[in-house]
Amino acid sequence: MAPILSIRNLTKKFGGLTAVGDVSFDVPEGSIVGLIGPNGAGKTTIFNLITGVYKPTSGTIEFREKSILGLEPYRIADMGITRTFQNIRLFKNLTVFENVLTACHMNASYSFAEAILRLPRFRTQEKALVAKAENLLEIMGLMGYRDLVANNLPYGLQRRLEIVRALALNPVLLLLDEPAAGMNPDETEQLMRLIGRIRNDFSLSVLVIEHHMDLIMGVCEHIVVLNFGEKIAEGTADEVSRSPQVIEAYLGTSLEAADA
Amino acid sequence: MSWTYIQGILMLAGINMIAVLGLSLLTGFTGLFSFGHAGFMAIGAYVGAWISASPASTPAGLGLPFILAIVGGGAAAGIVSYFIGRISLNLKGDYFCIATLGFGEAIRLIFNNVNRFGGARGWPGVPGRSTFLVILIADVIAILFLANLVKSRHGRNMIAVREEELAAQIAGINVFRYKMISLIISAVYAGVAGVFFAHYMTFIQPKMFSLTKSTELTIIVIFGGLGSISGSVLGALVLTALPELLRAFEIWRLVFYGAAVILIMVSRPKGLMGGMELTPSGIRKVLAERNALREAKTKLLADAQSGEED
Amino acid sequence: MVQFLQQLINGLSIGSVYALMAVGYSLVYSIMNFSNFAHGGVIMLGAYFGFFSLTLLKLPFVVAFLLASVGTLAVAIIVERIAYKPLRERKAPFLYFIISAMGASILLENIVIATIGPTFRTYPEVFSKVPITLGPLAIGRLDLIIFAISAVCLTLLILFIEKTKIGKAIQAASYNVKACALMGVNTDRVILTVFGLGGFLAGVAGVFFGMKYTVYPQIGNITTKSFIAAVFGGLGSLPGAVLGSVILGTIETFVAGYLSSQFRDLIAFVILIAVLVLRPTGIMGKVTEDKA
Repeated sequence: MAPILSIRNLTKKFGGLTAVGDVSFDVPEGSIVGLIGPNGAGKTTIFNLITGVYKPTSGTIEFREKSILGLEPYRIADMGITRTFQNIRLFKNLTVFENVLTACHMNASYSFAEAILRLPRFRTQEKALVAKAENLLEIMGLMGYRDLVANNLPYGLQRRLEIVRALALNPVLLLLDEPAAGMNPDETEQLMRLIGRIRNDFSLSVLVIEHHMDLIMGVCEHIVVLNFGEKIAEGTADEVSRSPQVIEAYLGTSLEAADA
Repeated sequence: MSWTYIQGILMLAGINMIAVLGLSLLTGFTGLFSFGHAGFMAIGAYVGAWISASPASTPAGLGLPFILAIVGGGAAAGIVSYFIGRISLNLKGDYFCIATLGFGEAIRLIFNNVNRFGGARGWPGVPGRSTFLVILIADVIAILFLANLVKSRHGRNMIAVREEELAAQIAGINVFRYKMISLIISAVYAGVAGVFFAHYMTFIQPKMFSLTKSTELTIIVIFGGLGSISGSVLGALVLTALPELLRAFEIWRLVFYGAAVILIMVSRPKGLMGGMELTPSGIRKVLAERNALREAKTKLLADAQSGEED
Repeated sequence: MVQFLQQLINGLSIGSVYALMAVGYSLVYSIMNFSNFAHGGVIMLGAYFGFFSLTLLKLPFVVAFLLASVGTLAVAIIVERIAYKPLRERKAPFLYFIISAMGASILLENIVIATIGPTFRTYPEVFSKVPITLGPLAIGRLDLIIFAISAVCLTLLILFIEKTKIGKAIQAASYNVKACALMGVNTDRVILTVFGLGGFLAGVAGVFFGMKYTVYPQIGNITTKSFIAAVFGGLGSLPGAVLGSVILGTIETFVAGYLSSQFRDLIAFVILIAVLVLRPTGIMGKVTEDKA
């Protein structure tokens, strides 16, 4: 089966600095792929390139065998790619429910005029949106916080809400940028199970950036390792952790640090 | 105080309210600040005056019905705002503010130089068609239109743009389009307010639509509370009526006004309503939010305690 | 040719007054990232301080001139303390600063209207109106003096920023205020200095502006043009503010001289819009790329 996302020779330069250099990899349909590498390896830049926040200097990005190069971020979201952010970007002053309801907008098609005149199509579609948002909150265990202003949510739940908001867009490919950042081992464990579960329940593919090796090794079927903007290894958790370059560039020091 | 006097103040407040409601959509709900909306009022006022003034007056008008003046004035402001939006909506933060300031002043100065419309001396012969009833109806329509818009997916998308632009993009919202729609609607509101203003004063002059007027509109929106329609309504009533009632202190009222603005900014930046709405559903929402916060606190506290016991 | 040179000299003279005003906008912007619209009100007060020092107190010009500048320095600092400091401490978004500035500007203008009155006042003749003739050229003494003193003030300002310790702190803070605070720089003192410098030059500019034209409470609105000059040169950049001012002053004078004086005000806003569309960071402003 063709991969859902296919990246070839992707390069992004900022002035003289090469943030991403000639990177190629695939995300097979229905898989969970991990993207790892030391700080400044270009992981988040790749997310920004995939979601259209940055325009690549060269290379191609194909989603379901169609190029998505040069599309505006909202168009890419329309096609079914969405993401979370390393530094959480919720609609902070809105409630948990409103955050998800806003993201559900794609499931409605009523026009401005229908909204302003409150015509029947507006009413029925609005009801469906509310039901969908509440259903998502229920499934993801946030219904107890429905009316809480997002800013007042505990940190871990803010990350979870960001994932729920992403799911509201009916994505096919979900990009998670350090979803376990700042979480304790318990929470990380929970998150791991959650990622596996949403992949199955929502039948999507996941690309995840993470520093927590436990999480990456436990949940990803395939791992891509970056260093200084270049891909240095790729394979299963086992293969990657045996690669000499990876040990030298990243895992060696990181595992030592983790042990300490 | 006679009823005619009070009615006069209320009419002025009602006219201001239309412009403020429009700006409230742009600033309070979409997060874009404008210091040029007096320019859109000017366009509405002049186009409206031109449509309804008698062909016999100087400057000559078309002598058409008032309703056409309202539609024409609003549409003209909307069209101009589209072109302004095309070139300025991509600017970041306060550069957009500065651009709106530039356009607002440029529009005023252009009217200053158009002798066909009376130039700097102004346009005296505008028919006095703005009645209390007409303004009241216009206010009700303006409020309902805005309230329904804000509670729809389109309104929520605008709020998302205000809250977090990048996240809104990633959530599939065409940020530029929603900013543009918000700007156009707010300009149409300002234009319509300009038409009513011209037909209330019966005399218009470019200097009525200066930067000070734009600032006043923004101040009212902030005073009322960003993201609150009821706040904008109350703000327009209070801040238009108050200076008028302070007429006795004529020369000192603007001193108080300036001091009040600083005081509001420094002490209560959330404004009168702070994002709340004075409607049954608005009050329910605030209560639900408070309740949720209380529950969340107890829940987290309980979790923390059980964690310690482990 | 003669007319051209004459216009050029006029333009440079008014441009240098704009520059004195524009650096005040730019200094504040470089540290606090907002457009201090109260600056116009401070300049207006400077014009009045100078006027009354000369007419009521009958002080010699140099003393009146210094008194006006020290007066505006004090006003600028008071405005900062009352209208901005509480916002700074609360880390309020830039918009609250702008609105507070607008409030301060309304306040200053109307205090003057309420106490002194809205009438236009003309400065007494300090310098002889007889122009200096240089061949076919006739140069106004006032224009020459304005240009010379402005140039001296701006040079001193740049020396202050480049050479003194607090000047270096200002430069550093314009790159990154937070990092500066972490490095032990007293940002509150930096901000006070910036307002003080801007305020002092506002007094100089106010006196010159009053001498060249007249004094009235709405002078502040005219100074919007110096703000445009600051944007034109690149908000936050001092050399940019000076360059932008001189160019704007010259363009304005030529437009008024060769086209029509009615377009003189309009041209400033046309330039503003063109700059924002083509290069919003101005001639010398810093360009930054957002990180997602």
